[in-house]
Amino acid sequence: MIFTIFKKELKDTLRDRRTLIMMLVIPVLIFPIILSLFVTVSESFSKEAAEKTIEIGVVGETDNYVISQLELLPESLGKKNITTYKDTAELKAAIKLDSAQIGIYPSPDFDMSMEMKKPAGVTVFFNATDLGMQDRAEAYLETVESIAKQERYLDLEINEEEIRPLEINYSNVASSKEMIGKLAGGFLPYIFIAFGFIGCMYPAIDLFTGEKERGTIETLLTTPVARWQILFGKMGVVVLSGLLASTFALLGLFLSIEVFDIVDNPEILNVIHSVLSPKFILMLFGLLFPLTVFFAGLMIPIAVYAKSFKEAQSIITPLNIIVVLPAMVGFFPGIELNILTACIPIVNIVLATKELIAGTLDGGLVGLSFAVMITLAVLAVIVSYKRFDKETNVVL
Amino acid sequence: MIEVTNLRKEFSLSRQQRKELNTTDSKAVAVNGISFTCQPGRIFSLLGPNGAGKTTTMRMLSTIFKPSDGSIKISGIDVSKNPREARKKIGFLTGSTGLYARLTPNELIQYFADLYDIPKNVCAQRKEKLYTLLDMHEFQGKRIGKLSTGMKQKVSICRTMIHDPEVVVFDEPTSGLDVITAENIIKLIRDCKAEGKTVIFSSHIMSEVDLLCDDIAIIHKGNLLYNGTMGDFRENMEAPNLTAEFIRIVNASKLENA
Repeated sequence: MIFTIFKKELKDTLRDRRTLIMMLVIPVLIFPIILSLFVTVSESFSKEAAEKTIEIGVVGETDNYVISQLELLPESLGKKNITTYKDTAELKAAIKLDSAQIGIYPSPDFDMSMEMKKPAGVTVFFNATDLGMQDRAEAYLETVESIAKQERYLDLEINEEEIRPLEINYSNVASSKEMIGKLAGGFLPYIFIAFGFIGCMYPAIDLFTGEKERGTIETLLTTPVARWQILFGKMGVVVLSGLLASTFALLGLFLSIEVFDIVDNPEILNVIHSVLSPKFILMLFGLLFPLTVFFAGLMIPIAVYAKSFKEAQSIITPLNIIVVLPAMVGFFPGIELNILTACIPIVNIVLATKELIAGTLDGGLVGLSFAVMITLAVLAVIVSYKRFDKETNVVL
Repeated sequence: MIEVTNLRKEFSLSRQQRKELNTTDSKAVAVNGISFTCQPGRIFSLLGPNGAGKTTTMRMLSTIFKPSDGSIKISGIDVSKNPREARKKIGFLTGSTGLYARLTPNELIQYFADLYDIPKNVCAQRKEKLYTLLDMHEFQGKRIGKLSTGMKQKVSICRTMIHDPEVVVFDEPTSGLDVITAENIIKLIRDCKAEGKTVIFSSHIMSEVDLLCDDIAIIHKGNLLYNGTMGDFRENMEAPNLTAEFIRIVNASKLENA
């Protein structure tokens, strides 16, 4: 009987355009859209930054040391034009008007300080809202300073190596997969959890509040089927819808890299390929299943209680924020899966998935996360049953 | 056969409901110890003004609500002790019955046949008989949401009868329907009687009651005011017609309770 109800409810749900859009269409499109945007925006930023010819304004004469060194810098550091200004007020005004992007003001005693081999002051003006200009200015002036240093070593007959006592090398032992997994891995479970929730929402409201509102539940309750069988049949569809929404989000990720070729960064591709491995998918769904049952168990009592679709939606929609907030924990680097976080629902799934992507999974902690979610899922099912068994909740 | 003995139903009142009803009682009595019997091959009408307790009684008969006290036996089966067995004997149709708009009549009827565990060959025979009777062949494959009110009502009737119930419960079945569609229901009720089924129905339309019923019960505020045969009711009427007599009995009850 449960299967008969499940089959009918699934057919009914798959014929609902609104549910289909939320459960299948949007999840499939989300990754191609996000990745396309990310790649397009980052490519256009780096291309624009590399190709942009910037105007450098310098206060002083054209034979100034800084100007002469800047003019000698190769184009690989970025194309530039140099214009001289008579004072800093004129220079700052030019930067504000964007007729110059970087302003350089060598101090009045600059030449004397250089002559006397003392630190020569240089003030750099830039507009912080013009992204990347500070980095450009630093790149130019560090090169100029490096040239000036070499000149001084030569004049003072100093061997540079003799005044550099330490040769420090920093070596990162984390693999690129681990780096991306730990730093950006929180994004994937966030998407799966958010869609798992949204995927459950419309079927839960439609199959419980909707039936009550349309008056179809009475006919179902007069059939020789136990209430728990009706509940389980319907709940099965709610859970499946949530899992399907997550699956279609995963399918969208697959399409993004295998069909649309949106990502060409080999390190990111490597991580995405490992995410799409059968082992990862199996483990991910092992974690998502109890979470989706938990979601269904949260929504069903509300949907059973609500008297109209609107009322159910107005209660469940804010719940979305409560669910999504812990899912965002994965965005913060440094928060890891431990005994405490493994006991916090949703947070545990996000962190476990993150560890799974990074390849640093601790079996014991995943087991604890799984046990916590199973316990909550069972509790949610019991609460749903209690609500559904209460006759005044089921019939208007 | 339906045997109702000392049937009582109480509902707990929420704070807001207590405020709306202007009462301090934590419970409201919807049905207050009523008893009646409906015989096979006869049509029993349950009458009462709005809020009298008709729908609650019908819902208890159909096992949607559990009685707070008393008993209901459907063909000898106690609905409180064995609701699932009792449900196999009942067909339930209301004026507000909804249908699954995204399914076709074929899919819906098959779904209910599966829920009643009817063998495929038996279901096919019954479906064919009902489709012919109700002239449903033409729209059996169309989505219910796209059907007219009359077509939908035919689907509801077919859904109610697919398991060939011994007892059929009609709760205001013609409410809000056009004359032609209402006529289909009247015909169905008569057919049920002719087939020896036990029929119980509630209505606000006195002409329907006059036309169809063999037995009658009037309830008001959960209390049974009258229970007897239609013949006896007509014979003992103090008012000139059925509607006037019904109003007289209800008003007399109001005065008694005032």
